[in-house]
Amino acid sequence: MFLPFFSILAYLLNGDNHKMKKFTLKPLPHDNLHLVHPQRFTIDYKNDLNPAQYEAVTSVNGPHLIIAGAGTGKTRTVVYRVAYLVELGVKPEHILLLTFTRKAAQDMLRRAALLLDTRCEQVAGGTFHSFANNILRKYATLIGFETNFTILDQGDAEDVINLLRMRLKYDTKEKRFPRKEALYDLYSRSLNTVTPMNQILAYDYPHYLELEEDIKKVHAAYVSYKKQHNLMDYDDLLFNLGELLRKNEAIRATLSDRYKYIMVDEYQDTNKIQAEIVKLLALKHDNIMVVGDDAQSIYSFRGSTIKNILDFPKEFSNCKIVKLEENFRSTQPILNLANEILKRGAPVK
Amino acid sequence: MYNKELYSKKSDGNLPQLVIAENENLQSRFVVQKILELREQGIPLEEMAVLFRSSFLSFDLEIELTKANIPFVKFGGFKFIETSHVKDMIAYLRVLENPRDVVAWNRILLLIDGVGPRTAEKVIEDILKKRVATTGNGTEAVTTKFWMDYNAYPENVQKVFSMLGAVAKPTVAPAEKTYHILQYYEPILRARYDDHSKRKKDLEMFQNITERYNDVGTLLTDLALEPPNESVSDIESPGKEEEFLTLSTIHSAKGLEWNAVFVLYALEGRFPTSRAASSDDEMEEERRLMYVACTRAKEHLFITYPINIYDRESGIILSKPSRFIAGIEGKLLEPWVIE
Repeated sequence: MFLPFFSILAYLLNGDNHKMKKFTLKPLPHDNLHLVHPQRFTIDYKNDLNPAQYEAVTSVNGPHLIIAGAGTGKTRTVVYRVAYLVELGVKPEHILLLTFTRKAAQDMLRRAALLLDTRCEQVAGGTFHSFANNILRKYATLIGFETNFTILDQGDAEDVINLLRMRLKYDTKEKRFPRKEALYDLYSRSLNTVTPMNQILAYDYPHYLELEEDIKKVHAAYVSYKKQHNLMDYDDLLFNLGELLRKNEAIRATLSDRYKYIMVDEYQDTNKIQAEIVKLLALKHDNIMVVGDDAQSIYSFRGSTIKNILDFPKEFSNCKIVKLEENFRSTQPILNLANEILKRGAPVK
Repeated sequence: MYNKELYSKKSDGNLPQLVIAENENLQSRFVVQKILELREQGIPLEEMAVLFRSSFLSFDLEIELTKANIPFVKFGGFKFIETSHVKDMIAYLRVLENPRDVVAWNRILLLIDGVGPRTAEKVIEDILKKRVATTGNGTEAVTTKFWMDYNAYPENVQKVFSMLGAVAKPTVAPAEKTYHILQYYEPILRARYDDHSKRKKDLEMFQNITERYNDVGTLLTDLALEPPNESVSDIESPGKEEEFLTLSTIHSAKGLEWNAVFVLYALEGRFPTSRAASSDDEMEEERRLMYVACTRAKEHLFITYPINIYDRESGIILSKPSRFIAGIEGKLLEPWVIE
């Protein structure tokens, strides 16, 4: 690395500008990651992982779908991939790891740090909600909130709804009106599943269907109350991040530039808004790896949809799929039964 | 779905077992016995879990575990007797058993429309001064007397007295008492809880449990005996190296593993739930739940179901095995019947 300096020095000293090679600088393309030669990796990836895991870990650019069956070392694979990206020379702060729980992200990054070094702790990791919070703390003014907004937990949110329900005089004894818990549940699921309220009412609260208009009035009051008082509930965090990315191209580009490599765990249990956020963030580079198991998608009652993982190859057309099928947990007889239970389901799509 | 076939290097092992029980309680007792057996073989309780589709499906087992002194921690949903509607039911039975139980009286009175803390206090005072003092606890005759002459109370309070008085005799079986209490309580349940239909399932389960008892006293004792892990401070206090069995809904078992796993109520109408029958998507999600449940097990997997379950909601006897395991060959899932 001292060579250019000495050359310039030599040039200055002997003044002979005809014999010197002229140096020019060109920017290093950001996807040219092989700053470290694979032989110099500190981790022996090939030895530590089975072939499918190794393939997943060493897949770097472009969209990837990792179908990780039960007990197939999914966490291990994510941990090794974080380490691999960092070893390749990706700046840790350019990696975003989104997980189902906060603890999952912390555990994975801690394991990656133990495996490689403390650089892995600089990776941006967390849940969709914590990520949304971080972003909105910076840009909330762009969607009509102050950056010092208060987050309402479920109990707080229900109390606000109750207050408005009383203010609008729906708490009279003559007429039965849904309680705060039911209203919160209704509003939340309508937002998360992008489903009209009357559809949820018809299915889960048919006895309130006739009150649809009044229920919507309370909802409208709730929405404006939150804006007026600079409050966001959990669902607002996701929804507002979606709004921000959708409407503001500059912010979208900035974030897409910052998070050059995005990983999402438990993709089978994400909801529609989360899938949209992922897509908007990856827009500039498509370096997105989602990990999950469609066979374990079980949270639709909370608004998640199996469609996200099933449609991923359609959303990202040049997506590469890697399947992890070697199970390290169970005996073969147990797996035979599990395989059979799945096989007897609806035909493979 | 993505085509996928899990395989393992651990090629040997016990076949998963399908255990058919004649009724719900037999299912619970089988699980208790098997847990003790496995523990005898050296598998600690931490390495065992009982999984179920819905939180209320473990209630019967919780009582049997308590009786057998097997400590457990439950994840997902509330413990049966901690749910407020079950607490309400228990309160009625408690005053039948012990008319001096002011805590239960307070609960019962506050459930009544138009009765606030002050009215409740007055009524309780009267119960203690006039009724308990003059009739006491004991023979059938005085017990009957306790439940008479309530016309001085507010109208709604009279109703609960007349209802309870009608079933107070010890000769009336616990199940019959519970039946009448439920009739009385149902409008309260509807008025208090928006999710009353879900809670009603719990109460039906409660009704089923009472059918096994000949007297209210024994029933209440079994329900009240709580495992020693009731408070968090107990668990965390240093030096206590107690081991615990895990009871969990399948949803809360996501990502976890145990050496031995029991899956309860693999029964049409319970798992899959009857609700899922109306939608193919929901039915497939139920199937995935069964898949998640089975893949939690490392070495031992028991799938159980009781037959002849009367489902009060639909008025149907449930006795068909879950479609997810029905008809699976014996070389994949070994069928057993409890003798």
